[in-house]
Amino acid sequence: MTLSPDAALGAAAAPRDRAPIFSFRDVSVRFGATPILDKIGFGVAPEEFVCLVGPSGCGKTTLLRVAAGLIRPQAGEAIFDGRAVERPTPELAIVFQDYSRALLPWRTVAGNVELALEARGAPRAGRAAEVERLLGIIGLSAHAAKFPLQLSGGMQQRVQIARALAQRPRLMLMDEPFGSLDAMTRQSLQDEIARLCKAERQTVVFVTHDLEEAIYLGDRVVALRANPGRVVEIIDIALPRPRDQLTTREHPQFLEYRHRLFHHLRDRL
Amino acid sequence: MSKTAWRLASFAFAALLLALWQFLADRGLVSRVFFPAPSRAFDVLGEWFASGEVWGPLAGTVWRTLAGWLAATVLGVVLGAAIASAAVTRDLFEPTVEFLRPMPSSAMIPPAILLLGLTDGMVVAVVVFGSIWPILLGAIHGFRSVEPRLIELSRALCLGRVHRLWRISLPNALPEIFAGMRVSLAIALIITVVAEMLSSRPGLGQMILLAARAFRSAEIFAGVFMLGALGYLGNLLLERVEAHFLRWRPAVGGT
Amino acid sequence: MTARRILLGLAFPVAFLALWEILARAEVLSNDTFSRISIIVPAGVAALLDGTLLARTAETLGSAILGWAIAAAAGIPLGLLLGLVRPFERLLSATVEALRPVPSAALIPIVLLIYGFSLAMSASVAAFACLWPILIVTTSAVRGIEPRLLEVGRALGFGAVRRIWAFALPAALPGIAVGLRVAFGIAIVVTVTVEIAANPRGLGYAMITAQQSLRAEVMYAYLFWIGLVGWVINVAMVRTERRALRWYWAARSAQ
Repeated sequence: MTLSPDAALGAAAAPRDRAPIFSFRDVSVRFGATPILDKIGFGVAPEEFVCLVGPSGCGKTTLLRVAAGLIRPQAGEAIFDGRAVERPTPELAIVFQDYSRALLPWRTVAGNVELALEARGAPRAGRAAEVERLLGIIGLSAHAAKFPLQLSGGMQQRVQIARALAQRPRLMLMDEPFGSLDAMTRQSLQDEIARLCKAERQTVVFVTHDLEEAIYLGDRVVALRANPGRVVEIIDIALPRPRDQLTTREHPQFLEYRHRLFHHLRDRL
Repeated sequence: MSKTAWRLASFAFAALLLALWQFLADRGLVSRVFFPAPSRAFDVLGEWFASGEVWGPLAGTVWRTLAGWLAATVLGVVLGAAIASAAVTRDLFEPTVEFLRPMPSSAMIPPAILLLGLTDGMVVAVVVFGSIWPILLGAIHGFRSVEPRLIELSRALCLGRVHRLWRISLPNALPEIFAGMRVSLAIALIITVVAEMLSSRPGLGQMILLAARAFRSAEIFAGVFMLGALGYLGNLLLERVEAHFLRWRPAVGGT
Repeated sequence: MTARRILLGLAFPVAFLALWEILARAEVLSNDTFSRISIIVPAGVAALLDGTLLARTAETLGSAILGWAIAAAAGIPLGLLLGLVRPFERLLSATVEALRPVPSAALIPIVLLIYGFSLAMSASVAAFACLWPILIVTTSAVRGIEPRLLEVGRALGFGAVRRIWAFALPAALPGIAVGLRVAFGIAIVVTVTVEIAANPRGLGYAMITAQQSLRAEVMYAYLFWIGLVGWVINVAMVRTERRALRWYWAARSAQ
């Protein structure tokens, strides 16, 4: 089921029957005189994996930062747990695209993950075990004592993801996390994040400029256009899980979604 | 030739130069007064260590240098963090820092003598004043240059101000602080020596000045040798400490 | 340089000096040790008018320039050699590493013995202190030269000397210029230090004698003057370096 742009703009509710844990309501952002985002509105249901896709400059990164509480919108608000988001909270975890700059180079992999636990005020005693568990989930146990600059791009991004998970977030915000990686690493991380988030029952808002990645990963895809950023389409992705790099991408429904979104995005370039 | 082979060759070359000096001195081809044979200087060193008379002055020079330099480090880092923290403080203090930087720190010795007399405190105070600048400048620069993404991260993680300073700004500034510390150590040693000369505090500086006044050149060279050794060892130790704290850095293309 | 920044930059020094004056007048700061700004400035002006300030300044600058020039004359060719001929650098490494950490102040007794109280004494110590930064910077500037450039020289059939003069030296010049500027600052600092410690010439000597004869106002006047001279020279050298290099680059691109 898709919503027409007008209906999507008005509705802050998620199209499922569960109440959203997070929503944007008429969010508008300006940098100086330049409008970046215009009346963005949609919701995110619990355990939902929502992908935000759009061309460069459509403000999706800005929108994510509004969600994280790092930027305040000029109009409208982001609503989390029924309250407006005014500042960051540990329950909203953000994963940045430039992983090498978002990790502390002087701390080991374990140390970087532990940073989130320190920030949360988790008691000293349980920290090591928690770090170990998270590194195990993300497949970095063997590299716990290494420093970020000794790791490949894909591994560094996994460290960031592990750190985000260490926050025990209710909502995970990911800003084009695989954009700087090569195709093969990207694909393996896509599968891993999909598996991980379903296993941990994590709610995710995932920003990407890659259409196919959005369809592949998402339960729902929100398409934005640029100048200024606006929601043009929201599509429920009715593809079977778990998804597979080969078969899912050849699924006729996948191709249909791709067609539909492609036109929207191309028109607005 | 391998690296170790070259190392040995360079030591051999230095030894050769030393031997040449010895040769020239023995033959009387250089003035024995000004350039005593190295053997005589080593004899003096031997006497000093045998009689134990060198330990006092050595300890004096070492502790004064260390005390001043460590105090300068702490002060420099704290002030640097404070100055770097806001544009206002930067605009207020950076011009003064820039003005005072080229100032010869030994020029503070006469006022320090006036204020504090010929005491150890005077020496340490001047060492602090002289050696703080490289650390202060390094700290200011290091604290200012934190990766913006990490600032965003600290906001996203809701790290308090103090936590952010301690966990992010300080480790980020460490490389530049260490660079400043290395320069400062060399400066601290020089100022200690000069202050000792002027204040007649028991130390290596005073020892070699007295030796000069008495025309005991072998003693001068023995003392200079010890000071050189101190400088060398201090730098070596600091480099090791730095290498440990900065071991996370990727290896830069070596020579 | 906005007006706000200039005002803020001056705020701290002005406040500091004003506080000094106020506290001195209130006798909170002992006038014997701290004097007063209102007495220090006239003392400085008097020294300027009767010629002593400038005479002392000339002595200090003379020694500094001489020492710096000697260090440059020795350090640049040596640096070129070490930078271009790797085996030499490796051979000399132990010697350089042994001599470099010797605190320049430690040489004061030696040169005192050799030269007595003279221009040569200050200049020698300054030369020693300046030699190392110039040498190291020159070596690394030469090492950083694009290897292709030197290959071109060889391919064109230039002899070694010609290659150095026409290719290596110009390419290393910007780096060498920075080293020379830094070294000059060091020369001034070391010269003043030698004057304070031992040599009865120049600004350092003026300061220490003022302190010893308990004329605090003269001492502080010379202190401020030294700071001013150091700062002015630093700024002048930075500007000159920039302008000289601009001319240099323009001339090269015009070739």
